[in-house]
Amino acid sequence: MEEAIIKLLEVSIWSGIAAVGFGILFNIPRKTILVVFFLGFAAGLIKFLLIDFKVNIVLSSLIAASFIGIISSPLAHKVHHPPVVFSIPPIIPMIPGYYAYETMLSIMNFTFMEKGNPERVVLIDAIFFNGFTMLFILISITIGVSLPLLLSRKETVKKNIGK
Amino acid sequence: MNVKDKLKQTADLLLDISSLLMVSGANTNRINLSLTRFASALNCQAYSMVTHMSLVLTVTDIETEETFTRVKKIPKYQINFSTISAISKASWSALRDDWTLTRIKEEFDVIKTRTRYPKYIVLIAVSFAGAGFCNIFEGDYINMLVAFISTLSGLFILQTAHGRKINGHIATFLASFCASFLASIGVFYNLGEHPQAALATSVLFLVPGVALINSFTDFLDNNILNGMVRFANGTMTVLSIALGLFVAMLLFQLN
Repeated sequence: MEEAIIKLLEVSIWSGIAAVGFGILFNIPRKTILVVFFLGFAAGLIKFLLIDFKVNIVLSSLIAASFIGIISSPLAHKVHHPPVVFSIPPIIPMIPGYYAYETMLSIMNFTFMEKGNPERVVLIDAIFFNGFTMLFILISITIGVSLPLLLSRKETVKKNIGK
Repeated sequence: MNVKDKLKQTADLLLDISSLLMVSGANTNRINLSLTRFASALNCQAYSMVTHMSLVLTVTDIETEETFTRVKKIPKYQINFSTISAISKASWSALRDDWTLTRIKEEFDVIKTRTRYPKYIVLIAVSFAGAGFCNIFEGDYINMLVAFISTLSGLFILQTAHGRKINGHIATFLASFCASFLASIGVFYNLGEHPQAALATSVLFLVPGVALINSFTDFLDNNILNGMVRFANGTMTVLSIALGLFVAMLLFQLN
């Protein structure tokens, strides 16, 4: 149990570090680095905790990304930076790189295998499983992070038109 | 200053601001929002057409209803969230304190001259991010070191290629090939517990996350054309990454 918690914390801390690394690549303002780290940490914690409780990776990515999307709007008003600064870097560590790699590996093997080999069916299975998991994770993180932002944005637009 | 001159200067300033926002990685809605805010602070109305390569803007004076139209080509894309943040803040202050044209211009000049993080800091930070990715995909510390080194050299190649003005997709291919080549060595000699994780994560620093997320928010905002362009761009980048990875894996016969 203790070991699992330490492992979870370790992975979450690395998620936070990855978020900050990408934030620096995107040149985020210096004052927001700490906030981005904690958001990346929180996103990793939520995602891997749910995976530990046997929730599917697609659903757990959606929940973690929605958390980032929902919290970045009030945070933007508090720290005075637009929400994109907080919402994009923390979800980058959720990109399903390993599934993309597995998909590519299977496609490559499939292409170079001679016709009639029964293993081709196994490879088709791998291509579909990994490819669609990757696709659904990508869709769920983009929906999770952008939908709350779009829903909460109406307010500021209205204020602006009234002016 | 007569109305025509004022409109001309306003149009130039608004075009500069929106093209800077575009190259910094703002989505279409944010550009229109900033335009509306600055224009209403200057007693004008702005109507714009934002595309990937150029901007068309018409400003109308609210009192005289005189109009002025201008087109601007968009410069090279380089994501910069600090700029987006600073322009967003400036637009709020302009609206609240009724800034004049010269005041906005001064503020914009300050924003334009802001520097980025130094190259070596970006290199180290992104390499740590690569190592972090490797940990997320269950790599141990040896795999993380491989991912760190591959990301470092891949990003260095990318930065050098951008400095020499090589085509963006070719630069991405070269960076992806270099990073996955180094990580493939780790797989070839079976370093660490999970060497495949290092190979899979070594190219992730190239993933066009901002383009793809912006494309999706543009779709949701009904800016379908811009969304399509961003999506196509992101897909091209992904294909370049995949090609680099593919060539490296083929060289090492990693089946």
